[in-house]
Amino acid sequence: MLDKRLLVVSAQGGVGKSAVSAGLAQLATRQGKRVLVIDMGESAGLAAHLGVRDLVFDPIEVRPDLHAMRLIRSDSLIEYLTLQLSLKGLNRFSRVARAFDALATAAPAVREIISIGKVLWEVRERKWDLVIADAPPTGQIGSYLRAPRSISELVPTGRIERQAAWMGETLRDPDSTEMVIVSLAEELPTTETRQTLAWLETNELVPEPMVITNRVVPELATAAKGRGPVRDAAIHHRSVYVEQQKWLSELPPHVELPYLFGLLTPTEVAARLSDALEESL
Amino acid sequence: MTEAVLVTGAGGVGKTTVSAAIGVSLARAGLRTLVLTVDPARRLASALGLGDELGSEPFPHPDEPNLWAAMLDSTQSWRSVAIRHADPDVAARLVNNEFFLAASQHFPASQSYAAADQAATFVEAGAWDVVVVDTPPSAGGIDFFTAPADMADLVGGRLLRWLTGGPLPGRRFFYRTAAKPVLRIADSVLGSNLLERVAEFLLDLRTTYDGVADRGRQIEALLSRAKTLVVTTADPAPITEAARFYRDLPEVGSVPAAVIFNRSLPQEWIGFEPPDDTDTKLVENLARWASESLRQSDARAEFGAVHKAVVATIPWVAEPPTDLDGLAGLLAETEELTARSLKLEPKRKMGA
Repeated sequence: MLDKRLLVVSAQGGVGKSAVSAGLAQLATRQGKRVLVIDMGESAGLAAHLGVRDLVFDPIEVRPDLHAMRLIRSDSLIEYLTLQLSLKGLNRFSRVARAFDALATAAPAVREIISIGKVLWEVRERKWDLVIADAPPTGQIGSYLRAPRSISELVPTGRIERQAAWMGETLRDPDSTEMVIVSLAEELPTTETRQTLAWLETNELVPEPMVITNRVVPELATAAKGRGPVRDAAIHHRSVYVEQQKWLSELPPHVELPYLFGLLTPTEVAARLSDALEESL
Repeated sequence: MTEAVLVTGAGGVGKTTVSAAIGVSLARAGLRTLVLTVDPARRLASALGLGDELGSEPFPHPDEPNLWAAMLDSTQSWRSVAIRHADPDVAARLVNNEFFLAASQHFPASQSYAAADQAATFVEAGAWDVVVVDTPPSAGGIDFFTAPADMADLVGGRLLRWLTGGPLPGRRFFYRTAAKPVLRIADSVLGSNLLERVAEFLLDLRTTYDGVADRGRQIEALLSRAKTLVVTTADPAPITEAARFYRDLPEVGSVPAAVIFNRSLPQEWIGFEPPDDTDTKLVENLARWASESLRQSDARAEFGAVHKAVVATIPWVAEPPTDLDGLAGLLAETEELTARSLKLEPKRKMGA
């Protein structure tokens, strides 16, 4: 999967999407690739897992060959208008940018195409071996992946429509794009993952996705004996394990990442996940 | 007066179950309690006395005399705004507009607005001592509290002003403005008269402003009086979200009454020395879960100190409770969430 050009990583909130994105980015870098990882959301998660305070629109090299940026829609829009329309001297307060921002709230797919368009632009520019998008949550990802098609339906001609066509093709191309859905072995994330998989299969916007299940506990290969906390902790582990196995069986074939116990910093979490990914991919 | 208890927090932390548990325990403390729930699992819904037909009308629980439950429905939010606050012909045009659905999806505050509006209606009805509100997961941070103002701002013409770059325009003014080069560029990029179509929609939407703004002020007044509880687990993502509430909520004139750490592991596991003859695997297992429990306990202590917060814990349970006793049992040890701690008193019957 790391031989693709673009990984789009989505998940329900709080399951470790940014940690897995950072882990994948580190692994790809270790394998000698030049990587750009893009935070498409508003959370500070990705920056923390990469060990930096904050991310901005211009990519920074957080470690050799590992670059990271935050997708800021207004900056992305200005870059688009400047590059595509050769309009000079635009800034975020200019009337064109503000008019677009208004449009982006009211018109379907405009704001999504500006965001996903920037990601796909970075893929197309070929400055990177691999672009990893720490993408919006599964509840919203559909409208981003569908944005090129929606734009074509909304505006049948024009420059945006022409670009929407190649964007849609890049997303569908199995040599370019891999969709990754991070899940947990719990009821709500499993249900949401299954719904997302079904939606993706129906809409055929990306190749068949890969599922990564985070925080899976190992089997406790002994009976719960003893008394007090020893026994209680064993019973606790057993019940977590049994519950997780029930939900794991509801998912299609997937990669499992281990539950990380105890106090770890966000960068330690990303490093451990990166090692675990290396073993299982 | 009816009190409102707002249960907030990140998605996936058990907010709906905690809201139900608080509702049951308040009902059992003698308060006439309405639980407004969002998308409960089937078994939880039936524990609350809601059958297969989850309705938005309060339903008295068959087995618990002081308990009512109802669903919050935020899917029809923009539709109901249009129907309530616009002239009938404008409303008809709005609900059939191609941008209407897109705007409601892009503007999650509209769902929060609808939920807050429904909750406010039940509080105003005065039929209960307390209304427990499970806030919708679409609301990030304090969206639920700022939703009335955000909604008024949106329909009041913020987008329209941005679109035209000028003061609030009338219909004729817009057509003059639309001829300007700046908007022609936009239309040339988008390749059609999209901008004009969006402006038409926004002009219609603006007619709802007075109604939305008036209602918004009533809802806001009510939200700022409510007791807010922030639910989290000891995981980093929901803690960050909980911290945002403590940071941002004072801006809208409210302070959380408590933070609730759900699914907390027993503290007596920390530092426990197993007998020497214990199976090594079991010793290791206790050690790793004790390290989890320690991490959780540190996270709670840090949160309490940093945010000067009242910290309540709810223990981890193997299976989410699916009956009244199970729900009440969740809070059996949680002193911070009793009716007395929350300063909620049963209302005296007037003239009875």
